[in-house]
Amino acid sequence: MNTNFLKLVVALTALAQGARAELKWEQTSVDLKPALGDKQAVAHFKYENVGNTPVHFKSVHASCGCTTAQTQNEQVAPGQKGEITATFNIGGRTGTQVKTVTVLTDDPDPAHSTTVLTLKAVITPLLEIQPTLVYWQNGEEPKPKIITAKANKDAAIKKLDVISSVPDFTAKVDAGSAPSEFKISVQPRDTTKAVYATLTIKSDSPVNTGSMFAAAARVMPPAPATKSTLSTIRHDLATPAATAASPSQ
Amino acid sequence: MKASAVRQALLLIALAFVPAIGEAIYFRNKISWQSPIPASELVTVNQARSWGENVIWVDARPDNEFERDHIPGAILLNEDRWNELLPQFLGQWSPDRKIIVYCSAQSCNASREVAKRLRDEAQLKNVFVLDGGWEAWLKDKR
Repeated sequence: MNTNFLKLVVALTALAQGARAELKWEQTSVDLKPALGDKQAVAHFKYENVGNTPVHFKSVHASCGCTTAQTQNEQVAPGQKGEITATFNIGGRTGTQVKTVTVLTDDPDPAHSTTVLTLKAVITPLLEIQPTLVYWQNGEEPKPKIITAKANKDAAIKKLDVISSVPDFTAKVDAGSAPSEFKISVQPRDTTKAVYATLTIKSDSPVNTGSMFAAAARVMPPAPATKSTLSTIRHDLATPAATAASPSQ
Repeated sequence: MKASAVRQALLLIALAFVPAIGEAIYFRNKISWQSPIPASELVTVNQARSWGENVIWVDARPDNEFERDHIPGAILLNEDRWNELLPQFLGQWSPDRKIIVYCSAQSCNASREVAKRLRDEAQLKNVFVLDGGWEAWLKDKR
């Protein structure tokens, strides 16, 4: 009886091990280096079903709205190869970006049913602008303020054009201290009224023609009178000296 | 006696390095980029509410999520269209108001990135990230 039971256990174990589905990934992490000005970065995650039963994808979910992921087939037959394509839309992002895609299959083994694919991309901007905002307090002396634009060396930028959306500001571009650096000198004509301008920065880069960058310039509105300011004004008006100095008296 | 103690201490340090190096090699591609946000930069929904009107809300989620719903008065500023949206935001910015950036739990690295860029690139002060993001706001509203 014991021998029969053991045979049954061995047979069931062999059966269970024999009927297995397993996706083997070539790599679960991909490092991408998009070229300057690229709008997308695409990663290919290759897999193979090394088991002997089909594998079904239950869900493929990207960590952010900027990444989409697509499977070639919903079902992967034993021995079949394929790939998941993850497309990362760069948009206005810069620096190191890490995005993940979570793949869920019907593999009964929890260790294999969920796979996290990682896409890492290092995005170098064509132009680094700092600060992207210059502003003057109302009534402040209208002295020029500087915006620095550092161009990527591979962008081969020789000239920058800066256009203010309103004529209340002037913008002048000069060469900076480094070969690929520019100094944008922004100056308001008047700081007694609140004004806002978008500064559109265009480069002559042959790498990504037509790409535009933006900064902003503002003259702030007058600060609202606080309670203490108002009480000081009232107090000054009430004093004899203030009354004597008043032109209406 | 002293030499022996020093030798033992060095041996212990060397032993401690073995798993550390192993971990560094094993997890070299699994570095946590989502390092925790410093507490000083995080605000809860309650804290944000206590600031009243003195707040500019910045929605760092994708356009479609913003269009579906957002915190009343929030300004859209995501990295998908950074160069287009940044000037619009800067036109409404005011130095005496605090900035609170939020995103959804699914893209919650976005608020951190946007807040960092506002601090570094626009050199703005008083930039905070909403703890729990859009979902926390919704939960509090119910």
